[in-house]
Amino acid sequence: MKASGPAFLWKRAASGGLSRSFSEAFALVQGELASAAEGNEVFAAHLEILEDPMLSESVGEQLAAGLPEKEAVSAACASVCSMFEAIDDEYLKARADDVRDVFGRIAAAMEGGDAQAPAELPQGCVIVAEELMPSDTARIDFSRVAGIICARGSTTSHVCIIAHSHGVPIRVGVSIDGISEGSLVEVDDPAVGGSGAIAALVRKYGRKLYVNAGSIDEIKAAMAAGADGIGLFRTEFLFMGRSSLPTREEQKELYLQALLECGGRPLTLRLLDAGGDKPLPCLHIDKEDNPFLGLRGIRLCLRHPELLQCQLGAAVDAARVLKGMHPEYFSAGEPPLRLMIPMVSTVEEVLEVRRLLPEDATELLRLGIMVETPAAVLSARTLAGVSDFFSVGSNDLTQYIMAADRGNPGVAGLYTPLSEAVLEAMRMVTAAAHSAGIPAGICGELASEPEAAQILVDTGFDSLSLAKL
Amino acid sequence: MLSSKVLLSAPSGLHARPAGELVKLVKGFAGSKVRIATPAKSVDAASMLGLLSLGLKSGSELEVSVEGGDEAAVLQAVSSFISSIGE
Repeated sequence: MKASGPAFLWKRAASGGLSRSFSEAFALVQGELASAAEGNEVFAAHLEILEDPMLSESVGEQLAAGLPEKEAVSAACASVCSMFEAIDDEYLKARADDVRDVFGRIAAAMEGGDAQAPAELPQGCVIVAEELMPSDTARIDFSRVAGIICARGSTTSHVCIIAHSHGVPIRVGVSIDGISEGSLVEVDDPAVGGSGAIAALVRKYGRKLYVNAGSIDEIKAAMAAGADGIGLFRTEFLFMGRSSLPTREEQKELYLQALLECGGRPLTLRLLDAGGDKPLPCLHIDKEDNPFLGLRGIRLCLRHPELLQCQLGAAVDAARVLKGMHPEYFSAGEPPLRLMIPMVSTVEEVLEVRRLLPEDATELLRLGIMVETPAAVLSARTLAGVSDFFSVGSNDLTQYIMAADRGNPGVAGLYTPLSEAVLEAMRMVTAAAHSAGIPAGICGELASEPEAAQILVDTGFDSLSLAKL
Repeated sequence: MLSSKVLLSAPSGLHARPAGELVKLVKGFAGSKVRIATPAKSVDAASMLGLLSLGLKSGSELEVSVEGGDEAAVLQAVSSFISSIGE
């Protein structure tokens, strides 16, 4: 994919101060790394490398052979790296990058360089660098980066892997001569495309990138790909293929596992979304002439309060256990669990669900709604007053607004999520959410369409939840 | 100095995590110098870089040697740690 943005020239620590001896430089770097190592695996590993007896020994050997200090450091670096590069193991080969990084810091400190502070990146910039070492990469806030260009490095280098995991396009081994600070730079990276293009755009505008999931494995995959959270966790799979309803304990275990996999990032758990169009063997649902206008989503849940109470109770239990295990996930005032009510059409429905939650629920979770009926759009201002977030379900919303069944070939041409009517509905939803101070996201298939991403960002959505990252 | 031979049976060889645990174990025996040797090379067992640079694969036979401190006890602890990796 292609991305562009103003160039941010990545500078190494300024040199030119007083030069230092090896032992002075060692102590300086040791102090820098020790303070950066707290909670950062890359710097913790670098501190270990620095303090490794082999590093000082190899420098000592070069000094004993009569080399001046600066040359001794670079010779020692070369000899330790060559040892790693000779190993027939990709993982260990890559450790040479870390060793070079640590020696590089010592060399820079010997030349009078100072501590490296985290860079203040302008939102949506393209980083332009000679080379980015693992310690540089650890300092990059990828949510602010539209792309990266490096003069040196390989496509298997640390920075490329990390950039791709964030959906950020990167080119290495290209000339950076003549690029000035702030000039518009384009990065073309064929390795990033499809969802990557949407991801880069969402990051560029500082919005959240969520993924839809229907199983624990899908949550794992989304987290591994660098998602900011789960924008839709379908719970129907728990209820499928069985003749009895899942117990509260069974549900709690699953929700807790899902929350733990998210590691403190938001998990948007949709309450059971079944109905005549999506029947379940464990729940008797009367045959309806018109299931899309019948008992589905929250309407069905409210008709079976025992089922709803059981699911809400399980979710609250899971959040409570999570809070005991990881109080830090809750310290920012935004609990990770977001319960989402499907198919809302009245304020009463939301209030009824809220009444079923315990008094301290606000400390444990957020309660929001899916906006997928025209009624919810038209009463969005009132609904925003009783909801903690909105999420547009674009598939059903489009069908209901256009009054067109997407599965009916006779009217499929009317199923147009980017039509004026649907877009205006989405603008009403984001405007109502923002004037009430709550976030509005979108989790329908439209969010996964690359050509829609810019429009959705412009419509004001705070998060896009993709089918897959 | 005491030494003995140990077989590394961990299926993925000696990777970063067990190597780090071995370094931690060895550093706990402040009075002893522990070295790990292959037929090609000998390294300080308190050096993560040294251990990793051996590129040890599953099935490698290592010689562990201890000098200073309670040599027999340290040798026993280090050898049994190495043979237990990957269990």
